[in-house]
Amino acid sequence: MRMINKISRRLASVVFALGAGAAYADVVVIVSSKSPIAALTTEQVSNIYLNKRKNSESVPPLVPIDAPGDSHIREDFYRKVTGMSPSQLTSYWSKLIFTSRGYPPREAVNDEAVKRMIAEHSNLIGYVDARFIDPSVKVVLVLK
Amino acid sequence: MVKSTQLWGFAAAAVFTFSDASADDIDHRLFSINGFGTVGAARSSERQADFTSTVFKPNGTGFTRRWSPDVDSRLGVQLSANVTENLSAVLQVVSEQRHDNTYTPTVEWANIKYGVTPDLAIRVGRIASPTFLAADYRKVGNAIPWVRPPLEVYNLSPVSNSDGADLTYRTAVGNVSHSIQIYLGQKDFVARDNVSGTARDAIGISDVFEYGQTSGRISYQRGQLTLGILEPFFDTFRQFGPRGTAIADRYSGNNKRYDLMSIGATYDPGAWFATTEWAKVITRSWLGNKTAWYVGGGYRFGQFTPFAIYSTIRSNSRTSDPGLSVASLPASAASTANALNNGLSSILGFSAIQHTVSVGARWDITKNVDLKVQYDRTAMADGSPGVLFNTQAGFEKGGQINVLSVTLDFVF
Repeated sequence: MRMINKISRRLASVVFALGAGAAYADVVVIVSSKSPIAALTTEQVSNIYLNKRKNSESVPPLVPIDAPGDSHIREDFYRKVTGMSPSQLTSYWSKLIFTSRGYPPREAVNDEAVKRMIAEHSNLIGYVDARFIDPSVKVVLVLK
Repeated sequence: MVKSTQLWGFAAAAVFTFSDASADDIDHRLFSINGFGTVGAARSSERQADFTSTVFKPNGTGFTRRWSPDVDSRLGVQLSANVTENLSAVLQVVSEQRHDNTYTPTVEWANIKYGVTPDLAIRVGRIASPTFLAADYRKVGNAIPWVRPPLEVYNLSPVSNSDGADLTYRTAVGNVSHSIQIYLGQKDFVARDNVSGTARDAIGISDVFEYGQTSGRISYQRGQLTLGILEPFFDTFRQFGPRGTAIADRYSGNNKRYDLMSIGATYDPGAWFATTEWAKVITRSWLGNKTAWYVGGGYRFGQFTPFAIYSTIRSNSRTSDPGLSVASLPASAASTANALNNGLSSILGFSAIQHTVSVGARWDITKNVDLKVQYDRTAMADGSPGVLFNTQAGFEKGGQINVLSVTLDFVF
């Protein structure tokens, strides 16, 4: 009984920690806290995620990671950053996939994985719900 | 007694504790499969001839069928392999109505790509031909706002791939990004009525540029085209002295240099878009020289995008020729010469000269499926059958036809 109480108290603190950030509904773009990048513009993030080659010497090459295909945050992110609806994005990628000019970003298996990958690799960029921020990642863009 | 909040907490802890760290986090695959398809039906108002979308289809809507599913229906499957970070391979197979009236799948393209740097790559194999704005994805309905790319322009070069090699280079100059492709290759093709041909020593360059909300392509291709079908007819001219030989050489389709150039651009600020393309082909044979262009646009109302297009093609080469001089010939030779002259007039006059006004709408049902309806009204110049074929006894050249098309596109 004491063991269960101990575990449940620890679990409760986890729940509380997650719940504390629930006030934010913002999508934030993150890189590793080890990354030298301080901030990015919406256009820069859009170019990275749409695989567009632009002159951006000030920004080291970043590999984009997508949230899972069925997550609501993904549609929200793309509308805010690229202005495109899911259908427009499908058409955009169709042009690139079926001419072998490019492929969409790799998908992480869940939202937790996005954050973990970004934290561990300074060459990756991702987007998460603001609730999941912790000191291992750095916010480079906040999407309202 | 375990409370529900404790259960929820346990589940959260499980996510943190039991998920593996790195390898499984990313959807990382050696192979990936993608595909596209269209299910379509088209109906032409002209019952004495057929209408279809390419010269590779032997029949269409109008005479052969009232409603034809063959004009736009197709299925494409693409298998990609990422062998190493630099080396990848792709195979795309497409099934659509082809010259032999079957839907036998054919290799649309198959190539190996080596990335020398992130911006420079070499490909070897069967490669999509970048001759127009949407030429290399002309079969992917989902990627195109209208039912099909305007035929006046896209039928100038109906061949969608070639076998050879290419070099692609991505760069940016100021705010303009460029994706430059230089390619060489060859192509053997069989069109309707078993008309076979080859393109050899084809070399081309294409630049896909992007500046803000404008994107476009400039391309140029040249090569040697051989179409054997009318050679026996033109060889007959050679019996008629220097004048006959001159005619045969002028119009023969054997190993003639062709030039194909185009420029197109799309402006897409989000709520609406407009696209225009201009193209020109010079064939130095009976196929003639042609110029075609179109302008089209659409407005997005949520998932619903109505559009309109105006497209036109005209001939820049003569559509008639005085032919052999008959007056000085003996009677039997004269009748042959007359027949040859009539044949020549008929061939040159067969040039497709027409313009089309199209209106339609696209409905994006889900993010991967869309439905389009398009109404085309085509006016053909006097004496031109336009793009119609399989013309029957009652067919009159010139005039107007309407084509109604409905297509359902999907990608996976």
